[in-house]
Amino acid sequence: MAVRAAVLRHIRVPVQTLAVTASKPQSQWSSLRLFSSHDDHLTKEEVIDRVLDVVKSFPKVDPSKVTPDVHFQNDLGLDSLDNVEIVMALEEEFKLEIPDKEADKIDSCNLAIEYIYNHPLAG
Amino acid sequence: MSGVQTAGYLARRAAQKERVRILYRRALKDTLNWAVHRHLFYQDACDLREKFEANKHVEDLDTIDKMIAEGEATYNKWRHPDPYIVPWAPGGSKFTRNPEPPSGIEIVYDYGRD
Repeated sequence: MAVRAAVLRHIRVPVQTLAVTASKPQSQWSSLRLFSSHDDHLTKEEVIDRVLDVVKSFPKVDPSKVTPDVHFQNDLGLDSLDNVEIVMALEEEFKLEIPDKEADKIDSCNLAIEYIYNHPLAG
Repeated sequence: MSGVQTAGYLARRAAQKERVRILYRRALKDTLNWAVHRHLFYQDACDLREKFEANKHVEDLDTIDKMIAEGEATYNKWRHPDPYIVPWAPGGSKFTRNPEPPSGIEIVYDYGRD
């Protein structure tokens, strides 16, 4: 036990290499093209990344303010029509067709991420 | 009494706002259907947005209702006959063409040859 503690005290886990090896399979996975529309389910991280990218590239948005739980109208100072435009941009990004009533309810990054992550055909 | 009136006013206002949002959404999608190229769409989308912004400060409820009805009539009149539909959605080019196989079923490529 004492030996184990002594050894553990002197071992440093190289955090950076771990992170690199962990992210590697994912990048290989994303370069793989699957030919069925049902095989490639998005990971949560990918959904978050792409949603934030879309919101950040909206002209009226200050990119530094965008976080995964930001509300479009309350936090980013957009109006309801901008909200409609963002949701449409998200639909195009993920090749989705969201029904009007449901699209109307999406008013924050959080809701958008949840909706897209749970959508079986988001791609 | 005034409380009831205010509640009624707010409900009607909320309904109108939702109608405007959905009208804008449909009109914007239709603009994309009509635009052959992306750079044409941006200009058209700007024009559409200006049309909506022009009546941003109208307060009278009946006038707003009339304007929304006019807008919806215009939208219906100019609706695209062959709109873009996401492939998997009903009416899309891939609708029901690529159904998900039941889980546990896989293709054996060297069947009979092993």
